[in-house]
Amino acid sequence: MPINGNADPGQLTQYAPTMASLDTEALTLPNVKVLQVIYEIDDAVMAELIPPALHPTIPPTMHVIGLRADDGPLGAFTLAIVRVGCRAAVRPRGLPTRAVCTQGEAATALVERWGFPITVGEPVLRERYDRQSIEVNDGNVTVLSAQLIDPVPIGNGDLLYTAGMHIANVERDGETKPWLVQVDPEFEVSRADRGTAQIDAFDSGYWDAPDLRPVYPIVASYTTANITLPRIRYICDPLQPAITGTVAL
Amino acid sequence: MKFGIFYEISVPRPWENDIEHTVYHRCLEQVRVADEVGFHSVWAVEHHFLEEYSHCSAPELFLTACAMQTKQIRVGHGIVVCVPQFNHPIRAAERAAVLDILSDGRLEFGTGRSATWTELGGMDANPDETKETWDEYTRTIPQMWTNERYGYEGRAFRMPTRAVLPKPYQKPHPPMWVAVSSPGTEIDAAERGMGSLGLTFGGFAEQEEKVNRYRSRIQDCEPAGLFVNERVATVNFLYCHPDNETGIETGSRLTGSFGYLAAQLLPVREVHPTRSYPNPGLLAATRQQAAQNPGEGVSAPEGVCIGNPDRLVEEIKKWESCGVDQINFLLNALETIPQEQVLDSLRLFGEEVMPHFADDKPATTSESRELAATVAAGD
Repeated sequence: MPINGNADPGQLTQYAPTMASLDTEALTLPNVKVLQVIYEIDDAVMAELIPPALHPTIPPTMHVIGLRADDGPLGAFTLAIVRVGCRAAVRPRGLPTRAVCTQGEAATALVERWGFPITVGEPVLRERYDRQSIEVNDGNVTVLSAQLIDPVPIGNGDLLYTAGMHIANVERDGETKPWLVQVDPEFEVSRADRGTAQIDAFDSGYWDAPDLRPVYPIVASYTTANITLPRIRYICDPLQPAITGTVAL
Repeated sequence: MKFGIFYEISVPRPWENDIEHTVYHRCLEQVRVADEVGFHSVWAVEHHFLEEYSHCSAPELFLTACAMQTKQIRVGHGIVVCVPQFNHPIRAAERAAVLDILSDGRLEFGTGRSATWTELGGMDANPDETKETWDEYTRTIPQMWTNERYGYEGRAFRMPTRAVLPKPYQKPHPPMWVAVSSPGTEIDAAERGMGSLGLTFGGFAEQEEKVNRYRSRIQDCEPAGLFVNERVATVNFLYCHPDNETGIETGSRLTGSFGYLAAQLLPVREVHPTRSYPNPGLLAATRQQAAQNPGEGVSAPEGVCIGNPDRLVEEIKKWESCGVDQINFLLNALETIPQEQVLDSLRLFGEEVMPHFADDKPATTSESRELAATVAAGD
C-alpha cells in the first residue's frame, strides 16, 4: 500500500492553534487575489512532513500560497501559507506547516475558526504585469520568496484548489489532542493566469518543515476569486489512516 | 461481445525478494490461461514512475513475451504514449511492426497521451501539447507503416524521407485505437475512424451515451489509418467465483486497492491547470470507485464484473445492450488476490460466462488480415 506519513503529530503542532469549537459558520471573502506556486520537493523527507493519517503524493509536492483580501468581513489582510501536498485516503489535500498573516483580526478568525497555523508577520503579495510574487521576511532575512513569471490567461474553470488538512489541538470528549481539521474552501474564480513557478528563497526551519526542500517547479497560478471558507464538516485522527480515522461532525 | 484482459502490472511494496519478477511471471501465466480459455486479447498499458500502481513501462516487451507464449490471443498496446519525450513516433511504428510480425499479426495498436503530472513531469513533457502530438502520431504512424518510404515535416517532429522498417504483418496495418478517459475523447476516436478504448469505470447510462455519440460520429469519419476500426471497448474488473458473495467480497478488495493506488498519483489537472486536461479522467473515476469500497463490506457497484457467473452474465448483457463490443478486465492490483484464485476466476469465466456471448472466440491472424485487406480495398 502507499507510503504513510510518519511524523509525530505532537511535533507538527508548534504553530498549531487550539480550537475551542468546531461549530464554525461559513464566511465569504470577496475578490481575493490568490497566488499559488507548486513545486516538487525532495522525496527523502516526504514521509516525515505528514502524520500517519496521510500519504505523500507521487511525486511529493509543496504549495506556496499567497492571498490578499483588500476588503471583506475580515478587513484587508495578506496571508502566506506553506503546505505539503498529500492524500487523505483517496482525497487530494494540503497540510499547512505554517502561515503568516499581516493583520490581527483576520489572523484570529482564521486561527480560531479554521485552524490555520498562523503567526502575525509582514507577508507582501506583489502584482505586476510580468509576474506576481509573495515574499515573507523575518527581520532582515527573506524566509520566503516565490513567484509566478510570465502570466498567461487561462480559463476560470481550469484550476483546481485542493482542500486543506489543518492540524489543530481540538477538545473532544473531554480530551484535548491534535486532530486534522478538513477545510475545503469554495473558489469562485473570476480571473485566472498561469505561469512559470519560481521559488527564490525558502527557509524550511522558519516554515516549521525541517528539511523540506523545493527541487523542481511545476506551475504557478494567480487568480481573483471569491473564497468561501466552509463550516467544518470532518476531522481526522492524525494517527489513523484517514479511511478509518475520519469523523463526520 | 469479446473479452480481453488488461494489465497495469501493479507491484506492492516492499520491492524486494524479486517481487517484480514474480508479478511479471504471474501475469504471463494468466495470459497463457486466458489464451487457453478463449479470451480475445491481452492489453498492456504504458506507464512510467507510477509506484505500485503500474510497473508496466515497456509494454512492447511484455506483449512480445505474451505473444511468444500463446497461440490465439491478440496483443494490445493500451496504449502507446504519443508524446515525443516518451516515444519517438518512428520508434513507436518500428516496435509495433516488429511485435505484429512476431505475434503473426495479432497486434492491436492503442494510442494515447498520459494523464498524470507524475509521468509528464517526469519526462519533461508539456501537458499543453499532448493532444497535438497525439494527433500527429495517429496521422503519421500509419503512413510510416504503409509507404515504402516516408518523410514528414511537422510540429512534433520531422524526418527526411526514409524507409521505416519493418512493415506490420497485418495489411494494411494493425487496428488502431484511442484511449478514452476524458469525456469527449470518444468523439476524437470516432472522427479519426479509430476504436474507442475506454479506460474509465462509468455506469451504463454514461457508457451508452458515449457509444451513441461514437457510432453517430464515426459514420462521417476521416480515418487516420487506411481503414476504419469501429469498435468500442470498455474496461472492468474481473473476479468470478462460484459463490456470489465470496466473488463480490474478493473482487471488492481488488477494486478498492486499484482505486486507492490510482488516487495517490498526481493527475495533470490537480497541479498544472490546462485546457488540454479538462478532467482528471481515469483517476477521478477510480477514486470514486475506491471511495465506495474500502470498509463498506460486500457490495458490487453497477456494472462491475465481480461475483458468480450468473451475476457476471447479467452485468455483461447490460454492457452489451449499451453497444459495447468488448470488455477488457483488470485481474489484480497489489497482488490482492492470490494467483491461484485469479487463474480459477479466469477458467470459471471461460467455462460459464463466455458461452453466453456470441462471437467470443478470438479472430485468427488470417481473419484479421483478410478483414483489413477487404476494408482497405473499399469493400
